[in-house]
Amino acid sequence: MWRSLTNPLKEGPILRARWTVILCLLGALALGLTACGSDDDGGGGGGGGGTAAGETLTIYSSLPLQGTSKEQSEAVINGERLALKQSGNKVGRFKIKYVSLDDSTAQNPGTADEGQTAQNARKAVQDKSTIFYLGEFNSGGTKVSLPILNKAGIPQISPSNTAVGLTTDEAGADPGEPQKYYPAKTRTYARVVPKDTIQGAALATTMKEDGCKSVHIFNDKTTYGAGLARNVSTSAKEQGIKVAGNDGTDKNSPNYRSLAAKIKADCFVGSGVTGENYVQVFKDVGAANPDIKLYGPDGVAEKAFTNPKKGGIPAELAKRTKITVATLGLEEFKKRGNAEAERFFRDFEATYNESNPDPYAIYGYETMALALDTLKAVGDKANDRKAVVEQLVGNTKGRNSVLGTYDIDENGDTTLTDYGLYTINEAGEPEFQKVIKAQEG
Amino acid sequence: MRGAAAVWEFVSKYGLIALLIAFPAYFAITDLSNGEGLTRIGNNLVAGLSNGSIWALVALGYTLVYGIIELINFAHGEVFMIGSFVAFALYGTLGLTLATGPLGLAVGLFVALILSMLASGTLNVMIERVAYRPLRNAPKLAPLITAVGVSFILQNVGILWLGSSQKAIPDLIGAQRVLVDVAGVTISRADVLAVGVTVPLVFLLTAFVSRSRLGKAMRATAQDPEAARLMGINVDTTISLTFLLGGLLAGAAGLINALYQTNVWYFQGFTAGLIAFTAAVMGGIGNLRGAVLGGLIIGVIQQISDNRIGNQWTPAVVFAYLVLIMVFRPQGLIGEETREAG
Repeated sequence: MWRSLTNPLKEGPILRARWTVILCLLGALALGLTACGSDDDGGGGGGGGGTAAGETLTIYSSLPLQGTSKEQSEAVINGERLALKQSGNKVGRFKIKYVSLDDSTAQNPGTADEGQTAQNARKAVQDKSTIFYLGEFNSGGTKVSLPILNKAGIPQISPSNTAVGLTTDEAGADPGEPQKYYPAKTRTYARVVPKDTIQGAALATTMKEDGCKSVHIFNDKTTYGAGLARNVSTSAKEQGIKVAGNDGTDKNSPNYRSLAAKIKADCFVGSGVTGENYVQVFKDVGAANPDIKLYGPDGVAEKAFTNPKKGGIPAELAKRTKITVATLGLEEFKKRGNAEAERFFRDFEATYNESNPDPYAIYGYETMALALDTLKAVGDKANDRKAVVEQLVGNTKGRNSVLGTYDIDENGDTTLTDYGLYTINEAGEPEFQKVIKAQEG
Repeated sequence: MRGAAAVWEFVSKYGLIALLIAFPAYFAITDLSNGEGLTRIGNNLVAGLSNGSIWALVALGYTLVYGIIELINFAHGEVFMIGSFVAFALYGTLGLTLATGPLGLAVGLFVALILSMLASGTLNVMIERVAYRPLRNAPKLAPLITAVGVSFILQNVGILWLGSSQKAIPDLIGAQRVLVDVAGVTISRADVLAVGVTVPLVFLLTAFVSRSRLGKAMRATAQDPEAARLMGINVDTTISLTFLLGGLLAGAAGLINALYQTNVWYFQGFTAGLIAFTAAVMGGIGNLRGAVLGGLIIGVIQQISDNRIGNQWTPAVVFAYLVLIMVFRPQGLIGEETREAG
């Protein structure tokens, strides 16, 4: 009707070329959006350890400071700063400088942006005073920073990574993992949270206790989400729960109603992070399946997911949702007589006026405390990256910490296995319920 | 030779329509043979048509502008996004909350609809005046790349306004509450809203373009701007009017989208723009009915693919259909042979 009154055919070849240009532009736009997220490891500096220069040592922190993970990251940073403050910003004869970096971007908030993460890691590599790198928050980010830092021999501790493939080739890992993250052939990475074989089993155990007969899993297709989904699937089958499906979700989808409509299970696990649009995922699954029980992992254990006033899931959905996080509640620590943890909660409140810190604050604290104690343990060699790495991965044994007593094994994993089960209270905050004693799947 | 051309024309037109019908038909037959009945495919079609209605409104903006100045206005998706943001801001201004009563909600949302449309319409006119009009006589690539630039500027405005994460907003209408249930095929409030707003707007637009004096001026300008000018038509004003109409529709789509999806995001315009542009090309760019048809078809394909094949394959399925249609019918499903189509 409209076009019928426009010009007839002319300029055919020229305009066909114009169409080609337009399609190329479209393609370039689409490619550009993904390409801007990729980067190489860049190398630069370092190479297999070395000695940090000068009497001042720098500890870098790299976390997503924009978007939905902002509050969680700030809790980690507050924990790290508190531990550093308690050490007087010194270890032996060395002064400690703390630098906080943002691994997210305005265009890719709430999670580690690959390009920005690579840039942060290179910045640490180029700084001769670097002695520790604390991060990333997201396993997908560590996939990028770990090879860069490993090549330079810089010790790295993550406060939150749970992806199995970062440290082992157990169930849930991708082919080639974890060797591809360690080009220097030595382990330089450790984490203070249990890996997802434990979390997968914790979720399956909880579902079993709740009477789930079958489960449908959605994963956000990230290193973390897809890996955890595999672990949940394995553990659920082992516990006699039927796995009805495991579907990937796309962050850019306006909604997930069609996916939600195909769920035929009585339980649902959303294996993703808030920043990958998981508020919408839970909303759509909950609306399409009014009786389904909802479960989320530590990736959604934040107020941006739990609190409707901060853009989280609605209150009626929150009542049906349970979340697993590796941290335990203050009462549980008290019950166990963990004086370190009690002191942490007291000091945190005194410093930040926050009596119920985000579950990740204690992991931030422990990450920094582990780094500082590792430096202390090597004494005058605290500026020797190789000595620090050997101490961290090879000799962290029977460590008494705010999280309990644990070792770091030869892969860089903690020997802690307890997971906390959280519900969402009326104020929209995750509330600790109990400890899940899960067996690895 | 003429006979062969006629057969080709018949096959390319009706063969494609058959191919499009084959997609849902295949799954309907599969469901029937599995003893599941037609409930699932029925729900897929309902969700697809309502989602497609939003794409149709956005696609109309692309096709209107392309029809008159042959520019692919890449910023149009972002005008739609700003419409959603304005609608969300108006929730607060007009005091619309989950506690608002039905009458207050109806009045408030109607006011929000009008204001969102005006905001997006005005924005689109301003974009044309500031960014495109000075390039009217420049090579075609200049306004095209300017449109890409405007698109990025508006995305950044969105980031400054509401941040860069998806923002969940109150579900004022209970979007997924079922209104009608026919043998398991459910029609939700969101479905009724999307179709209920889109259909009258499309009829109004069609009537305006085909019957009003200004609509005739638009068609004349589209056909030959120079001749239209010689006939006393103010071409600049007519082009501005076209942008205004496209913007108004994008604003309406923005509000529906906010109510339908219950979240807003600075990047929603890019995704919607890509889909809507594809819809406009699929239907026959420059053709109003084609844009609507394209939007509805893509909506249905997306829903079926998401539900039956897997959402990771949906873009591939949609674009496979587009490629098929372009190969056999370069002018689009109901477009006519044009100089673009060669």
